[in-house]
Amino acid sequence: MRRGVTALAGLLAGAAVQAACGDSLSAAHRLLAEADGVQLAFAPRPAPLPLGRQFALDIVVCPAAGQPQPATLAVDADMPAHRHGMNYRTTVTALGDGRFRAEGLMFHMAGRWRLLFDLPAANGQPARRLSREIDLR
Amino acid sequence: MSLRRWLATALLGLAAPAVPAALLDFSDDERARILSHGPWPPAPARDPGNAQSGRPAAVALGRALFFEPRLSAGGTLACASCHVPQRGFTDGRPRALGRSQPGGAADTPLDRHTPTLLNAGQQRWWGWDGAFDSLWSQALQPLLHPQEMGADPARITRLLRSDAQLDCRWRRTHGALPPEGRTDPQAVLVPLAKALGAYVATLQSRRTAFDQFRDALARGDRVAAARYPLAAQRGLRIFIGRGNCSTCHAGPLFSNDEFGDIGALFFSRPGVVDPGRHGGITALLANRHNLLGPWADAPAAGTEDPALKTRHVLAQHRNFGEFKVPGLRHVAQTAPYFHDGQKATLADVVDHYDTLSPDRLHADGEQILKPLQLRGTERADLLAFLHSLDGGATAASLQPPAPCR
Repeated sequence: MRRGVTALAGLLAGAAVQAACGDSLSAAHRLLAEADGVQLAFAPRPAPLPLGRQFALDIVVCPAAGQPQPATLAVDADMPAHRHGMNYRTTVTALGDGRFRAEGLMFHMAGRWRLLFDLPAANGQPARRLSREIDLR
Repeated sequence: MSLRRWLATALLGLAAPAVPAALLDFSDDERARILSHGPWPPAPARDPGNAQSGRPAAVALGRALFFEPRLSAGGTLACASCHVPQRGFTDGRPRALGRSQPGGAADTPLDRHTPTLLNAGQQRWWGWDGAFDSLWSQALQPLLHPQEMGADPARITRLLRSDAQLDCRWRRTHGALPPEGRTDPQAVLVPLAKALGAYVATLQSRRTAFDQFRDALARGDRVAAARYPLAAQRGLRIFIGRGNCSTCHAGPLFSNDEFGDIGALFFSRPGVVDPGRHGGITALLANRHNLLGPWADAPAAGTEDPALKTRHVLAQHRNFGEFKVPGLRHVAQTAPYFHDGQKATLADVVDHYDTLSPDRLHADGEQILKPLQLRGTERADLLAFLHSLDGGATAASLQPPAPCR
């Protein structure tokens, strides 16, 4: 029983951490990606994420405790099953304090897309790729 | 079946309205896919980078110019010579006919099929290779190309000055013509192209039997939905289902307005390959009339920047041999088919997808396109569905404007 409570507490704590990342983004459309203790929250503009139309992403990176905010971020997307990417290249603007805006994305067909967020190596930390799959109809 | 379960089923059957016999039992997923192909008509289109688009004076000027053969060298070719309204704004030929001699007769097949202009305003890229990012920049290509209209800006200026109706419409739209002897041809060409773009943006196909069906499904009117022929319903099910057609022929326009390799032949002439989208992106980015150039009008405040697509488009190796995914509304009016008219009829197009060779498609991953391997009535069903996307002629687009005074 105690083990179960501990697990539940851990889940709740995890949920609290997730909720904390990207609080400034629209809660209804905020999505999360995570790898090696780094969290990244993003929300599309327009929302919900459109099919066949250019969109932007508002992004907030939440590094692991004690780690600095990244200065740069690269954003791309692909359809793993089809092994092709977008027909457009994304531009990313750093807004400071771990916030970024990615523009120029477009998902040109329905199906499973994967958003890819690449953080460069910095301060002794390796480069990291965070990803999030999205099913678009 | 237990008595309890039998009773529950029987009661449910009594409570639910009977499905008309002529309506297929579309699943929720199928229904969602069908609804994604509407509603129709969409909001009026605007030509990007063209502040004249949507203004009645510019539309009237553009309409007059569209049917005006005197714009061309020799005075014999108008936009409407190839984009024939009665043929769905195409010419019915496999490839457009061009001139072997400047100003001469249109006697030589060019490399590509004349695309329809109906619903052109709803698109993102123009030309089979998407070399243009606005209707007005696209209009300059046939206007100036020596094998097409071969227009001369100085002669156009004289025409606009000498024809009372054209002069009146120009003044209403753009103000006074540039002074006599002014050498910058862009001062006439760009406003003229924007008037043409404003007119073409108004060309829209009518509602269709499919739209009636789609809207009936949306409002849950099964009786009205059942009026859509069963063969078309079965064809639609293939289109949105195992055929994967709607993956690219998506949305209300039945096109994702991007580019694809469908395993079609891509030799323009013996030994000459049409590079398709790859060449289109190169031409787009080199074109000083694109939306990043000095002649594009800024978007209205608070509206999306139409130049985003041009700023972010990415040339990739796979673009070789890709051509624009055409919209399928009024498709039955626009034969022949494909970028070079290599398929004479819609039945030939269906046969292409029925038997296509995956080896020709160069897909690295999961095949989006697979041979349909149609059986029984399926070929006729798919054709019935495609024919149901035709709403007939678009007379409203063709009404001549009142005389300019």
